[in-house]
Amino acid sequence: METIKFLESGKVILEKWIERSRTTDENRLDIWISTENLKPAVQSLVENHWGYLITITGLDIPAVYDQDNIEIQPGQLEALYHFANDADIITIRVKVPYSKPQIDSICDIIPSATIYEREVIELFGFDLLNTPNTEKLILPDSWPEGVYPLRKSFTHLQDLETSKKEQSND
Amino acid sequence: MTEAKKEKFIVPIGPQHPALKEPGNFEFTVDGEIVTDAAVRLGFVHRGIEKACENRNYTQDLYLLERVCGICSHVHATAFVLGVEKLAGVQAPPRAEAIRVLAAELERIHSHLLWFGVAAHEAGFDTLFMYTWRDREVVMDILETLSGSRVHYSVNILGGVKIDVDQKLSDLIKKDMDFLEERTEYYMKVVTTDDTFLGRTRGIGTLSKDRAKLLGAVGPTARASGVKRDIRVNAPYSGYKEFPVKMVIDQTGDLEARFVVRLKELYESYRLIREILEKIQPGEITTRIKRKIPEGEVISRVEAPRGELFYYIKSNGTEMPDRVKVRTPSLCNWGTITDVAVGHKLADMPMLLAGIDPCFSCNDRMVEIRSDSQPSQMMNWDGLRKYGIEYYR
Repeated sequence: METIKFLESGKVILEKWIERSRTTDENRLDIWISTENLKPAVQSLVENHWGYLITITGLDIPAVYDQDNIEIQPGQLEALYHFANDADIITIRVKVPYSKPQIDSICDIIPSATIYEREVIELFGFDLLNTPNTEKLILPDSWPEGVYPLRKSFTHLQDLETSKKEQSND
Repeated sequence: MTEAKKEKFIVPIGPQHPALKEPGNFEFTVDGEIVTDAAVRLGFVHRGIEKACENRNYTQDLYLLERVCGICSHVHATAFVLGVEKLAGVQAPPRAEAIRVLAAELERIHSHLLWFGVAAHEAGFDTLFMYTWRDREVVMDILETLSGSRVHYSVNILGGVKIDVDQKLSDLIKKDMDFLEERTEYYMKVVTTDDTFLGRTRGIGTLSKDRAKLLGAVGPTARASGVKRDIRVNAPYSGYKEFPVKMVIDQTGDLEARFVVRLKELYESYRLIREILEKIQPGEITTRIKRKIPEGEVISRVEAPRGELFYYIKSNGTEMPDRVKVRTPSLCNWGTITDVAVGHKLADMPMLLAGIDPCFSCNDRMVEIRSDSQPSQMMNWDGLRKYGIEYYR
């Protein structure tokens, strides 16, 4: 009973920004919103004391090619902001293209989000605007720039080392 | 401004400690004795498990994820199997769910006792450390008898569990629970009445309810500040639906409260284990599950000894997951340290750090602010610990 109440109150709070929504489980609501609405949406959840931010999950959606190797859908990144209120989870989802992976930082609303933001910056290559700290979080300081290990195209660093060697041999 | 900045005095500690068993680098900015800024740099044992999961099938992932942590291995496996079972539309038999809870609570006991010993050691109370670790062996022996392994018990399999409890083992566990309960009574007495110990814990590192909420604290750290967050109660999973637990809450929010909350949780674990052993119904312990998991996304949350453990699993309809995201509880609680440390004495730092029960291999993902002034004095963890003990002598 309560489950439905929480999810519905959350849906009411976020109503004006929802582009598409989906309920996969009785206690879950996934909503897709456009990137510029992320901050106001998070702000209103926090102002209405609707739960807390569990984490930010990054997803890589690689580019799709047709049989002639022509890109029919460019590569995208998706960020999932999971908010929990008791058993209920609302996931705010935003999609950005590889070419412009920019999302506003929510750290001024939820300061503890900084670690999650740094994680997705490092592992996926998101560009979080105005995030307070962009120092290395997980990867070693010597990790090459622009290599994002959790993207599907990344297999292992060995490739990079050999390709570097090949380049230097050229 | 720049003048003042230059005068900052930073005490770097780690990342390799002779005393602390896991790698972590801390930088405390001090003004005389008082800490004005704190920073943590982790990531020294990052292993890329999330990526590795994408190249292995679900069964292999189960064993891989169990190795995320050597203290709370069972909860990781539980979170994963519960998620995968949900995706596959499979429900493990009730006996299996009860055994999962049994193992989880045994694990909680061993984890809390381990932490208690470490915290006592940091306080310079090595007798207490020896006592708790001796008593912890009782649980370790149970786990070994139960599963054949002390650390990675591998109780879970997809669709159920692979161990069972018989009457003989059940009697043994009950007897051991009585012993541990008696010991916990004694620890509770020490923690709440011993003057030397209270000098290190009472009124230290107080975290208000609002700050705890804002900083996203979880587990005993949050509950010691009066935040009602316990997944076992908020969103009962697995056998906790049948065997509910009572949430332990304390309003004080200081270090003492964190000790009291964890010790009280031990009582709750003893009670629950006895209840499970008495009420568990005979029956199957596994169901069949297909190798290929239907397409979908699932969120699975369980309560680890240190707090909420979060799993997000995305399946693409094959034998291997498309994405596995793990958010461990220690990660959330680091944020509270850098907040709480400020304004305290350098001598309090070992206890404050121990207070959140940090688990490095558990997440190893976190860094905080670093001030740009030069380190002036090196101190290792052992040195800092001794400094703290001497200070309060």
